[in-house]
Amino acid sequence: MQLSKKVCLGFLIATLMVLGMGLLSACSNAANSETDKNKKTYTERETLVVAMELAYPPFETKDEAGNPAGLSVDFITAFANAYNYDVVIENTAWDGLIPSLQTELADCVISSMTITEERAEQVDFSDPYAVAQLALLVNSNSGINSIDDLNQEGKSIAVKTGSTGDVYATKNLPLATIVRLADESACVTEVVQGKVDAFIYDQLTIYRNQLNNPETTAAVFIPFQDPEHWGIAVRKGNSVLLEELNEYILISQIDGTFDRLTGKHLPSEKATFDELGFRWFFDFR
Amino acid sequence: MNPLKNIFNLFLAPKNKSVPLFKGALNYLLVCVLIIVVFWASLSVLNITFSFGFVDLYGKRILDGFILTVQLSLVSLVISLLLGTLVAVGQRSRILPIRYLCDAYVKIIRGTPLIVQIYLFFYIIGTAWGIKNRFIAGVLILSIFEAAYIAEIIRGSFLSLDKTQLEAANSLGFTRRQTLRYVIFPQMIARTLPALTGQFANVIKDSSLLSIIAVIEMTQTMREISATTFQLFESYILLGALYLCLTLPITFVSHLFEKRFNYARKT
Repeated sequence: MQLSKKVCLGFLIATLMVLGMGLLSACSNAANSETDKNKKTYTERETLVVAMELAYPPFETKDEAGNPAGLSVDFITAFANAYNYDVVIENTAWDGLIPSLQTELADCVISSMTITEERAEQVDFSDPYAVAQLALLVNSNSGINSIDDLNQEGKSIAVKTGSTGDVYATKNLPLATIVRLADESACVTEVVQGKVDAFIYDQLTIYRNQLNNPETTAAVFIPFQDPEHWGIAVRKGNSVLLEELNEYILISQIDGTFDRLTGKHLPSEKATFDELGFRWFFDFR
Repeated sequence: MNPLKNIFNLFLAPKNKSVPLFKGALNYLLVCVLIIVVFWASLSVLNITFSFGFVDLYGKRILDGFILTVQLSLVSLVISLLLGTLVAVGQRSRILPIRYLCDAYVKIIRGTPLIVQIYLFFYIIGTAWGIKNRFIAGVLILSIFEAAYIAEIIRGSFLSLDKTQLEAANSLGFTRRQTLRYVIFPQMIARTLPALTGQFANVIKDSSLLSIIAVIEMTQTMREISATTFQLFESYILLGALYLCLTLPITFVSHLFEKRFNYARKT
């Protein structure tokens, strides 16, 4: 009995010591990272941690081997080569992208993210590098031919939680029921099965899913909408990285980098968009 | 007497004996302080500040979500208790197809993640059979999931009954019904009640996954709110606290039952 008491006591003391040391090191870590931030220069090669959700081909996706691939991956890699960074890509779920900047798990986010006022309160955005517009995927039997047909009692619309489609629907479709889902494929499934009447998302996704489900769905385009500008997000106040990004975006628009990337990743989509008269992603003229 | 020893004694208690109230409270407080300090230290490393202003703005929605979570969990608990008992009985059936069906059911449900079951059930079985209402579909999925675990609890405690009791009942001339009523049933209640109560806490937590099919319960409400406010950490901290409000009392009751029915284990 006496022995076990001593053992317990030893454990207690050891636990307290470990905890104390943990706290100490946590505090000194905090101090270290503080000084690191101040003496950051970009003469030497640094690591650039890029967070993106690899679930939006062909912008952010994975190749057959499971490595990050896509237009955004190519673009940010080219940027990193030009500015002497080593790129590490972190595949992060959409909800975690902005928090990953805030918690310093990532330096920037390039994930087809639209620049919005609300997001700009949390992070800083680069100049826009692409422009996108929303469209509707409707169930063939829903009888919906325009966005106005949707804004009625008894109509329901699927959105991806927190997407710009979500913001648009919340603002412009007050009478419809909004069904918020975690990923695009669930939204498309709901439309195909007629659980909801429509799904609002960007034109490219809508166009592709309509091609996949020609019998059950139709694509409806939305006139008179504000174009959505995609930007690269950085942590608030990280002006060094932000200026480098802005510079590189400008250069890429002039020297035809974006046209080359289009040719590599989206040739058929470009042809279809041209045919239909839709504005192309990198068309800022 | 060594005064140091007296101080250390404050943090020690012998095994198998109840801890005096003062000592218990003191040490529990110590643990709480430790948890808070570690959490706080992590936050200061990350340089995060919290603002819970959104709670005012979205109070009504959070309350609605909370109520829906309670409703979902309660209805699912009742259905899963019934279904779980049936399956536990079925696993001991003399009719082999029934026995194997129950067995396969428990194995499949316990062997796959709830998220898989939710998607497959809602989009395939639900659609095929016309279950359109998300609440009803959610209750059914959750009940089917939890029933497999409840069946295992019941089966496990039945197996722990001593065989000699059945023999004794038999030799006293008890019918099957009498054995069940006077020998098995009272002990089963004593043995399963604490675990079943604890399972209720699991039902509450598992219901959070129904958010993926847009059942607007507590988790989905918080996801929607954090998608507009971007206050992911605040939302999830509040969400965790709300779940604890539901699960801690249940855990407490479960422990109470455990003590109350402890006699059954001292056979």
